[in-house]
Amino acid sequence: MSAFNKKVINVLYSVFAIFSCLALGKLCSYVAPVLPGSLYGLIIFTLSLHFRVFDADRIKSTVVWCLKHMGVCFVPAGVGIINHFDLIKQFGIAIVLITFATTFILLTLVGLHYQRCLAEEE
Amino acid sequence: MLTELLSAHLLSSIIAVVATIVLFQFIAVFQRKLNAIWLQPMLFSILAIIAILLWQDISFDNYFSNAWLLNALLEPAVVALGFPLYQHLETITQQWKSIILVLSIGALIAIISSFIITMLIIGDYTIAVALSLKSITTPIAIAIAGQLDGNTAITAFAIILAGFFGALIGPRWLTYINVRSAKAQGLAIGAASHAIGTATVSNISYEHAAYSSLALIASAVITAITSPFIINFLASLLQ
Repeated sequence: MSAFNKKVINVLYSVFAIFSCLALGKLCSYVAPVLPGSLYGLIIFTLSLHFRVFDADRIKSTVVWCLKHMGVCFVPAGVGIINHFDLIKQFGIAIVLITFATTFILLTLVGLHYQRCLAEEE
Repeated sequence: MLTELLSAHLLSSIIAVVATIVLFQFIAVFQRKLNAIWLQPMLFSILAIIAILLWQDISFDNYFSNAWLLNALLEPAVVALGFPLYQHLETITQQWKSIILVLSIGALIAIISSFIITMLIIGDYTIAVALSLKSITTPIAIAIAGQLDGNTAITAFAIILAGFFGALIGPRWLTYINVRSAKAQGLAIGAASHAIGTATVSNISYEHAAYSSLALIASAVITAITSPFIINFLASLLQ
């Protein structure tokens, strides 16, 4: 098999792996609606790689590419801010400041605390 | 007639998707060339598209119904985050107790601090609920916000804001306060900035991606379970 054919087959294999995990995740989310289907899918994908249901070596290059470019998928939803201009006009500054401050607190707290846990374990 | 309409929709869909990708790539190339971290492709493509929509008088619904393909790819993209998580599964299972403890304390403080500060400054319950849920992934946060009579539009807006703050400032701020370990940085950014933060730090290292994905899932679960109780308790306390 030529190198190119092999690559194409690996991409198709990865797409199949990801979408079958997503489909299973959707099913889980339907049965137990604690998490959205994509997060169940993430967990199932991790476990299926761990238990060698799917071959990680064949998936790696496709997933690396996906992770590198996944940011673009957030753009359409982000543009949705445009629909809430009047809310933003009314409370925008307060919302931005509170979000900024509390996100900062959370980042600092989790980062410092976990680093200390890691240092203790070593 | 129908085929004409369909082909017109197909064409505008292709234009919307291709334009979004080209714009994103263009900004990403500039970001690399200028070595400017602040020139975040996601944020600047959103701003540029908003400007184009306003300038050309195109409604958001029109754009979104044409760019749906990109939005639909979000779900498989989130599933793909399972890969870095798998690579670090062994070290994570060794440390799961401290990870769950850190993330639970984080989620608790995030909910309590946001709710109380918002009640004190804005004094509106629906906005306070929205801001309490901003650190977790959109589908879960919207569901809980609806359940607790929060404002879902503001929830969505605050989630995007929290995502960008953490993604843009997170790595540098954490390095500045001497949190240099990739594990701790990843965990903190995943906990504070959900999938947007995770997508951004995935480019730094696999370890970042793994710990950020883990925090994304665990924080969502912890918040989904605890926030209704905490928010009801705080609301009764403040009344």
